[in-house]
Amino acid sequence: MDRRLFLQMVGAGGLAATSIACPKFFGKGKAAAAPPPRGIPTTCELCPNKCSVLAMVEKGKVHKLNPNPENPKSRNMLCARGNAAIQQVYDPDRLKQPLIRVGARGEGKWRPVSWDEAFDFAAGKLAATKAKYGPEGTLWSSTEGFQEVFFKNLGMAFGSPNILRHPSLCLASVNLAYSMTFGTVPSFDLQNAKYVIMAGANRFESFITPDTMDLIGGVMERKAKFVYLDPRFTVTASKADEWYAIKPGTDLAFILAMIHVIVREERYDKVFLDQWTVGFDKLVDHVAPYTPDWAEKETGIPSADILRIAREFADAGHRAVFYAGRRSSWYQNDFQMRRAQAILNCIVGNWDREGGMVPNRKVAKGEFMFLPWDDPKAPRVDEVEKNFPLASAKDGVYLPLRENVLKGVPYPVKAWMIYKQDPLNSVPDQGKTLKMMEGMDFIGVVDIAMSDTAWFADVVFPESHYLERTDPIEVMPGIWPAAVLRQQVVKPIHDTKPCLEIAQGLAKRLGLSDYFDYTIDQWVEAEAKELPVENGLEHMKKHGVVAFSEAKYGTTRNAAQRFVTKSGKIEIFSERLAEAGHDPLPVYAPPQQPPSGRYRMILGRKATMTHAALANLPWLHEHNPENDLWLNHDEAARLGIRTGDLVRVTSTAGSVTIKARVTEEIRPDCVFMLHGFGKKSPWLRSVYNVGAADSVLLETAWDKVSGNAAMHETFVNVVRV
Amino acid sequence: MANPAPKRYAMVLDSRKCIDCKACVVACKAENDVPLGVFRNRINVEREGAFPRLRVSFDPEQCHHCDNPSCVRVCPTGASLQREDGIVLVTEADCIGCKYCIVACPYGARFFNEETKVVDKCTFCAHRVDRGELPACVETCPSKVRTFGDLTDPASPLHVLLSSRRYRVLKPQTGNGPQLYYLY
Repeated sequence: MDRRLFLQMVGAGGLAATSIACPKFFGKGKAAAAPPPRGIPTTCELCPNKCSVLAMVEKGKVHKLNPNPENPKSRNMLCARGNAAIQQVYDPDRLKQPLIRVGARGEGKWRPVSWDEAFDFAAGKLAATKAKYGPEGTLWSSTEGFQEVFFKNLGMAFGSPNILRHPSLCLASVNLAYSMTFGTVPSFDLQNAKYVIMAGANRFESFITPDTMDLIGGVMERKAKFVYLDPRFTVTASKADEWYAIKPGTDLAFILAMIHVIVREERYDKVFLDQWTVGFDKLVDHVAPYTPDWAEKETGIPSADILRIAREFADAGHRAVFYAGRRSSWYQNDFQMRRAQAILNCIVGNWDREGGMVPNRKVAKGEFMFLPWDDPKAPRVDEVEKNFPLASAKDGVYLPLRENVLKGVPYPVKAWMIYKQDPLNSVPDQGKTLKMMEGMDFIGVVDIAMSDTAWFADVVFPESHYLERTDPIEVMPGIWPAAVLRQQVVKPIHDTKPCLEIAQGLAKRLGLSDYFDYTIDQWVEAEAKELPVENGLEHMKKHGVVAFSEAKYGTTRNAAQRFVTKSGKIEIFSERLAEAGHDPLPVYAPPQQPPSGRYRMILGRKATMTHAALANLPWLHEHNPENDLWLNHDEAARLGIRTGDLVRVTSTAGSVTIKARVTEEIRPDCVFMLHGFGKKSPWLRSVYNVGAADSVLLETAWDKVSGNAAMHETFVNVVRV
Repeated sequence: MANPAPKRYAMVLDSRKCIDCKACVVACKAENDVPLGVFRNRINVEREGAFPRLRVSFDPEQCHHCDNPSCVRVCPTGASLQREDGIVLVTEADCIGCKYCIVACPYGARFFNEETKVVDKCTFCAHRVDRGELPACVETCPSKVRTFGDLTDPASPLHVLLSSRRYRVLKPQTGNGPQLYYLY
């Protein structure tokens, strides 16, 4: 192409910042220096950390997202995904208008329709389901997001008890374990900690949040010692002072042995334990058998190291943390492993101290008052109250729910509305999820891209991208709490709507308009009124955030403090657990080990993707073009497998073909594959049929107490194709 | 008023903090519209050892904006040039695409841009720097590996780091005088 013509074209399209501006950049120093352009503050949506960003807009197009330094919670950074958000807006494969399926489910034949037609169609199906099975015959599942509230509210106003949120695929077990111990889920003050132990929460690779930055700063500037346990040599392992390739499923043994040492050698914080806790005396007897020698046999970590680490940890006192972090459940004892972590943290007295565990503070905001609806008449289909009495009934339990729906007990569920979630990839055992979908009379999906789940839906509602809409103000609790606004930066470029307007469109046709009689601006205005800042709304539009940058320690260490537990104290021994039929102190049972010739399948994430999403964006995809199966060098030699060979991986749930990666960076008894590949939706063109989806292989298992999906309970065999 | 003394821009990298997260690479793509498959900056990865004694290092690299840039010396048209503040640039209009500079660069920092049909490379985001901003890779970096600044300013964080920490440059033997400083 003629170069002048090319430059004209990009100039006219408003693209290519370099090209447009190059006379200025390359003008041999003659360019006049312009003042820095100030972008429009808003809030990233590409992962759950929700960093504050400044959107640089030129001629109605977002051309760059920069970090907004005003929010301490985003530490003046923007990760690869945050930077790539622009590509989502201008993605040629984006959902551009409502679609109704015309062929068989999954066949990929779609009819573009008007919003009216899509609403009429979906509302008709939902009403028919209600008429036949009652409102409880509908399931409303969603993942977290600022507009999730509207989707959830629609399900509740419709009368369904079956609102299913993401925690039981995520951190329900950790939240429950810390709540059962402290009455709340604290944050970890990694900025000031001196000794950090982390088990599997791969914080330097899988997810980028303030904790990532604080810890890397702490470790590399030698302010903190960092011990890491993981069967795989991750980026986090590579940065740790000590890495142990622990035998999978034995974290609890390691923690119990640490507690054993600290108790035996009386290195605990006696004053703290006397004043604030109950049940320490029972713990002393309970951990007596859990010696470091015993733990060495279970974990494969030398007892001398366990002994030393326990001593170092206790000596660091209130600046030592066993970090919970974000990490899903891996084993059916996950809750008890988390409880042991909480107890270990508790006995060194790091509660509510600088460098320890700190209860979260919140920024106050107003609430928009909407018309309330009646409580649903039917019980939940997942029977969470009966089977998981301690778990969060408003979030539900995903895998037990799927089992019940497949069996049709206690009643049939025949319509499924899904917001922003891709159950075919995020829920173990894709085959079962497909079966569950087959049993549905109706499936509606709200998303911005054609996920695998959307591909199997009956109607797809395209949501506007986060840069195209304004969302409710979100309060982000923490040591440095913030409230953030996501405000519209550019007009929607396609025929899309924000979730609120989608909920309103359906509500109108379902006779539920009274419950949604407001605009997003009214909602945000009500919230902004009570922010701890003058002219709240104006402030949020101008800055995007209001935050407390000073940490406060020790607010719960006063005589009047009553913890939200049965005893009002921190509960090392938990009577409520005993009453619910669970171990009141964490009891170790060795995990089942893979039989000869099989491997434990372990999972992980990379921060160029968020769970199973984003792998399709070209700027991110070029760093992870395909996933592969990590296989230890010695095992690969035994099986005659070399890097790049196609292998067949099989579990009782399913089978996939994937390329092998022969590596030293994994234990011989495990195999690993990255999440987010092997997509079934051709509209995710970079990852459609590329690599394999771990959800095909994962078997159904859950944590006994929280109902959280247990992701590491699958054994596979591997054969060269 | 006399002209102020010229600045000398440089970058310090604390690679130990690098977690290979690719934020810098994607930010550069967004800021500078770099086509797919080619990169103005990268993260070099080196792995060694056998299970469980393993090591991996991540070293971000891009144009070193050398003091005596060989790319500028070999350019037949003057398209490759160095500004007074040390930033090495390519004037698109003057580049004939002969690629001598790509060969002459000891760091593999340059590439041929198939969209613009000229040689492309890191500019230290000169357009942002001229507005008083940081290069996109520096601003976005989550683990704050990068420090950008003016070597002639004794108060700059960059100056402080170089006067208090041990550092190295890559391939000093070329005599190019590279201006990416890697901390030990």
